Amino acid sequence: MRRYSATYFIGQSLKGLWKNGVMSFASVLVLLSSLIVMGSFSCLVINIDKNMEELGVLNEIVVFIHEERTEDEITTMYQTVVNFDGVSKVEYISKAQALEEEKVKLEAAGYPYISESINEENNPYRASFIISYASDASIEDLQYKISNVEGIEKVICRSDIAQTLTSVRNGISFVLVWFMIILFVISMFVIVNTIKLAVYARRHEIEVMRYVGATKSFITIPFIIEGMVIGAAASVIAYFVQKAMYLYIYNMIGTDYSMITVIPFKSISVFLLLGFVGIGIITGVVGSSISLRKYLKA
Amino acid sequence: MIELKNVSKVYPNGTVALDKVNLRIQDGEFVFVVGASGAGKSTLMKLLLREETPTEGDIFVDEYDLGKMTDKKIPFYRRQLGMVFQDFRLFPNKTVFENVAFAMRVVGEPTKNIRRRVPTILNTVNLQEKVKSYPRELSGGEQQRVALARALVNNPRIIIADEPTGNIDPKMSLEIMNLLVKIHNFGKTVIVVTHEKGLVDYFKQRVVTIQDGHLVDDKIGGMFNNAQI
Repeated sequence: MRRYSATYFIGQSLKGLWKNGVMSFASVLVLLSSLIVMGSFSCLVINIDKNMEELGVLNEIVVFIHEERTEDEITTMYQTVVNFDGVSKVEYISKAQALEEEKVKLEAAGYPYISESINEENNPYRASFIISYASDASIEDLQYKISNVEGIEKVICRSDIAQTLTSVRNGISFVLVWFMIILFVISMFVIVNTIKLAVYARRHEIEVMRYVGATKSFITIPFIIEGMVIGAAASVIAYFVQKAMYLYIYNMIGTDYSMITVIPFKSISVFLLLGFVGIGIITGVVGSSISLRKYLKA
Repeated sequence: MIELKNVSKVYPNGTVALDKVNLRIQDGEFVFVVGASGAGKSTLMKLLLREETPTEGDIFVDEYDLGKMTDKKIPFYRRQLGMVFQDFRLFPNKTVFENVAFAMRVVGEPTKNIRRRVPTILNTVNLQEKVKSYPRELSGGEQQRVALARALVNNPRIIIADEPTGNIDPKMSLEIMNLLVKIHNFGKTVIVVTHEKGLVDYFKQRVVTIQDGHLVDDKIGGMFNNAQI
């Protein structure tokens, strides 16, 4: 089997992109906009999840234990709680652990002087159980049973907040999915038309290629590469635009609304880049393939 | 060998382009295919190029059964054919060398072979002096010779020329036909679709006449029969 030159294919693709400059640019622009909208929604959902986790409202009940309880009594309480119907997990946080965790948070938030002022002796935190439950259905019943366990000082259950945030998150996810579908179809449509124009511009060349015995793959590869280049260009630009937008919001929220946790960009950068490049290239390749299947015969 | 057995072609709109055509062309033959416009000549060419498949009957070209051929095999089949068109179909932005080399490049020939083979073929069609010229700098006859060189460069066994002299003056037409005869003398099968009575009569080769989708006449050393067209 003879090997075709990669430089030939890439050269042909770049020529095609250049010849249909306006349409190529339009394709990149549409795909870029779609990716940014998708990326923004995804970032929003990820951050809502993170905040819900931070607030401890993801199917969790926080139970504070009375100060005077001994280790044995706490073990008994643990056994009682863990055996309640609907409880999926119980995590015990000792006074010392609670102190350590809060000190770390205070330091990270830029309040080292507060962190330094509290220690084992003046530890204001209580030991607690973090109880995860399986479903919202029996939450009130479970809350009642837990509050009646001897030695429990306070039960905090924020199922109403959890439900509100969950419905907001689900609403955003729903809109995200539909946006993704609509934008994907629009991007695909523009790419299909761009490649269709590229095929039309080279129809005489393609005709001669077919008559002299060029294989279908030889004819189609440059167009597929064109689609890939459009997808890759759009995804790389979208990544940097998204990064700039995210960092702007991150800095703004970080200073003005510090009660909201925003995930640092570097924690989601790989996810975003891979997502953008994956979606961009897949859209480009699928768009090219659709137009080629329609407009190129054997 | 090319063999058509009871070949009919009916287009989806109901037009019967060919009706039970039987034709056999031996290796190394020179055949003129003549007929009026709409007689079925183009359909015959399309069937031989495997652009279309017959509605009925079988077409064999050497070891290929065109009716049963899969799409994947079509390019490899077409490498056995060299096509020449009335409108030359050269690339205006490529030089003579590049136009001919293009046919080799698209079938994956290494550059080394292209550099060796293209000048030889251009020499065969007497265009060795025009290697760097662009099609717009050539006469119609010269452009058709470039097209012939492109058809020949991959060393096909069969040359199919569809009205090769339709766009050039009579003197150049004779020159192109002489070239086709020269190519035939190299052992190639040559099929020429034409309207040019003078050329058909002058060269006295086998003449296949098609009328209303039927093969009405097939004579070796025949003449262009106006009465049948």
